[in-house]
Amino acid sequence: MEIPILSLLIVIPLIGAILTLLMGGERQKNAKYVAMAFSAITLVLALVVMFTDDMGTLAENYEWISTSFITISFSLMVDGLSILMVFLTALLVLLVVVFSVHDADEDRPNYFHALVLAMEVGLMGVYMAADYFLFYVMWEVTLIPMYFMISWYGGPRRHYAAIKFFIYTHVASLVMLIGIFAMSFQAAAITGNGVDFAFAAINPVIATAATSFQAMVFALLFFGFAVKMPAVPFHTWLPDAHTEAPTGGSVLLAGVMLKMGSYGIIRICLEAMPAGAAYWQWVIIAIALVSIVYGAFACIAQKDLKKMVAFSSISHMGMVMLGIGCLNDAGITFAIFQMFAHGLITGILFMVCGMIGHKVGTREIPLLGGLAGKMPMFALFMMIGFMASLGLPGLVGFWGEFGVIFSFYEFIQGENMIWLILFCLLSLMLTAGYYLWAMQRTIFGPETTKIDLTHAHDVDKCEFIAMAVLVALVALFGVWPDAALDYIVPYIGTLPVFGVI
Amino acid sequence: MDMTAIFGDYTAIAPLVFLIVAALILPGVQLLGKNRNITWAVGLVLAVVSMVVNIMMLTDGYVGAALDLFEYNAYSGLLILLFSIVLVLMLLVSNASVETTRFNTGAYYALIFAATLGMMFVVLSSDLLTIFVGVELTSISSYAAVSMKRNDPRAAEAAVKYVVVGGMSTALTLYGISMIYGLSGTTDIAALAAWVQTLPEINLLLGVGIVAMVAGYGFKIAAVPFHMWAPDVYEGAATPLSMFLATGSKKMGLSVFFQIFLVMFVAVASVSFLGETVQYLFAIIAAITMTVGNIVAIAQNNIKRMLAYSSVAQAGYILIVMAVMSEYALSSGLFHMFTHVFMKGGAFLIVGALICAGVGEMISDYRGLAKKAPFLAAAMMLFLFSLAGIPPLAGFTSKFFLFSSTLYGMEGAVDSTWVWLAFIAVLNSAISLYYYARVVKAMYIEKGDNTEKIKVPAPFMVAIVICLVGVIVLGVYPQLVFDLCESAAAALLGPYLL
Repeated sequence: MEIPILSLLIVIPLIGAILTLLMGGERQKNAKYVAMAFSAITLVLALVVMFTDDMGTLAENYEWISTSFITISFSLMVDGLSILMVFLTALLVLLVVVFSVHDADEDRPNYFHALVLAMEVGLMGVYMAADYFLFYVMWEVTLIPMYFMISWYGGPRRHYAAIKFFIYTHVASLVMLIGIFAMSFQAAAITGNGVDFAFAAINPVIATAATSFQAMVFALLFFGFAVKMPAVPFHTWLPDAHTEAPTGGSVLLAGVMLKMGSYGIIRICLEAMPAGAAYWQWVIIAIALVSIVYGAFACIAQKDLKKMVAFSSISHMGMVMLGIGCLNDAGITFAIFQMFAHGLITGILFMVCGMIGHKVGTREIPLLGGLAGKMPMFALFMMIGFMASLGLPGLVGFWGEFGVIFSFYEFIQGENMIWLILFCLLSLMLTAGYYLWAMQRTIFGPETTKIDLTHAHDVDKCEFIAMAVLVALVALFGVWPDAALDYIVPYIGTLPVFGVI
Repeated sequence: MDMTAIFGDYTAIAPLVFLIVAALILPGVQLLGKNRNITWAVGLVLAVVSMVVNIMMLTDGYVGAALDLFEYNAYSGLLILLFSIVLVLMLLVSNASVETTRFNTGAYYALIFAATLGMMFVVLSSDLLTIFVGVELTSISSYAAVSMKRNDPRAAEAAVKYVVVGGMSTALTLYGISMIYGLSGTTDIAALAAWVQTLPEINLLLGVGIVAMVAGYGFKIAAVPFHMWAPDVYEGAATPLSMFLATGSKKMGLSVFFQIFLVMFVAVASVSFLGETVQYLFAIIAAITMTVGNIVAIAQNNIKRMLAYSSVAQAGYILIVMAVMSEYALSSGLFHMFTHVFMKGGAFLIVGALICAGVGEMISDYRGLAKKAPFLAAAMMLFLFSLAGIPPLAGFTSKFFLFSSTLYGMEGAVDSTWVWLAFIAVLNSAISLYYYARVVKAMYIEKGDNTEKIKVPAPFMVAIVICLVGVIVLGVYPQLVFDLCESAAAALLGPYLL
């Protein structure tokens, strides 16, 4: 019998979540080991999938609901786009568990780990789903653990942030749901085969539907995904959610949950509605440019280090959208690469912010200064994270940004709008500026006297392991981007050809 | 087992026979035995037997008529199943709830069984008058049952309101029926459906008759603007009874809409001006009902009132069926009625159980419940999330079907007529999340005054677990009931669709 490895990627975290949830009382101290074991198994499985030869054809399909009107199946698949996200999810979940070994001991650690693993279930489901019903279910499943994670383990304004996050993204998903209905029924009307929610039954059919229909549905789905990414002006939930979320929650939120938005745009909007994408191309580009520049400007103004990193996510996800907006092979390739790169880098950044808050007691940039003396290892990680994020060549962030801007230049050259590149240059400048400035004010310079640093201590062993793994990957993919591009390029070949290049 | 061998000509009303027996003998049993446990056990056994008989008839695919009045088919079978589930849930807790055990036991059970009988008569009927009689049987029994909580002024207010509003709705309904009878010369719904197709254009008198009937029955399902009584009654009545009204009586009212208006107009829907007018009438009622229900629910601090307004909103969702008027919509609507029994029933049962344990009805009384009663808090969270439509719970799956039906036109093509209704429904779903999340927040995030463990009566636990299983199983595996809903919709609408 063949092992249903894709289902296992969902089932194993689910079992882990249930087990840790049940570990109440005295046993809750051990929940972290259970969580670690289950997330490690998931990561091993993800790596197995990554390195199998027939990766592109891996798929599972079980009948779920079948009535005389509609067919819904539990179908999963993995290709070059999803595998990177699956790997990133499995990796970050394990690292979050490792990183929080000491933090999470304080308050109901079993619940914390159950939430992390439940989130992994939803994320894996989203990235592997090949059926719209399953996709939507998993999309919503990620919401509830995050809601509880923010409102149980978050900062002082956590209740407000949690409910805002929950309702904001829930509304967006509902709009997306209407788009899914419209697509499914239209596909059924064209083929005459009854409503089947499978990607394979809908995407190729809708890709040939009338442009006006594609444009309408594209708008509905794009809204749902843009809120998740988040793109300006739908971004206001993100800074609140991030500022209040616990470190582990932030890492998962920025590292893999935001990617659900861009993943959806590529997987659904581009695959199913190429004409719709071409119709809205300039809107996408405008939103992307505004997000990039606005995010960067907002970063400069932030006093809270974590909020600054949150806004930088908006800017960097804007870069992903810009790559998508080019609607050419290179642009989408590097957009996907940027998603992957941002996932790795942002993990380091939020861990750094979490450590400052935890070890120094405040994340207010004006109160900090000269931390490098007391916490040299911490300063090193922070520097690598910031450098990677601002696109230093040799680290992973460089390839994403360079590739996207390169593709965008190629695109606007064809459109005779080269001046648009100024926005990209401006954002690059601002990004370098706010990161260097923040670094200068926190880890360098004379040691701060505004707060008591006597209890500040350097990175502990578990935190070191979690961050070192990320740093190693950031460097590895920085010098050897082909390791990721080898997955992306074959996938790009399967995308429909866009009318406008 | 072949039921016709046992019940002969009365097979079509076989499930009702046990309830009739129960309604008649229970006051006597109580009078002679003087032991409410015995009375309760006899009633519960009869209700369960009736449910089992009905399930066997339903799975056998029995179709037949009795007494020239009642017709049993997949549609009536499904709704009888729904009513008996409500009845069994209700009976399970009736002997354990501090609210209902103070009542005159014999009379209380007789009224409950009579009310359930009325609901079942309605779904077995195909004539305006028999439907009317069934509705009245349910209503009058419910008025009396609500008023049994005698020493509570809120209950007295609720009962008076219920009687007055109910009386008015009855008058309106009768007025409408008489008008339609005067025009068409028949009260048989099949004949009316044929008559509607022969009408050349909209007829003002017919319009008045329809509006009067819609208003009359609109009171029964608490559709806006006829919903004012519902929050007061649900708040004032004993909680098991509130559950019974919200999940049982309301479903009967919705079924009346399906059996009368849907059947009458389904053939002319989207075809003639008359059909479209009726569809738009219902679409507007549906949109207003769900919006008002959800928005007002936000402001409620009493959890029973909040659940009452949420019921108003849920009726609004189900009225989408009346706007879309398709077989798929009806299947989804029936499925949503089913899932609603478990999620709303479960929520009311938890409120009732907590009242037995001395917890108040205010949302603020639920603070810190997760520490005091972890199982009840978790169950309540699942019921409320299901009502809000969060996957993978039953409420999501049924809303998924229901909302999708708005876009499902003839032969599967996207029909954009009702897209606006889908948008309103979806927006409402989002609004509803806010007030459901408030309760979850109180239970899980806010701290209570103490952390003493709460113990609730065992029958409540059994009933709550049944609802919980329903909410999860129907969410993950809807096929179980959806197939039945499909055959029910086909049985009701099949003869009238082209």
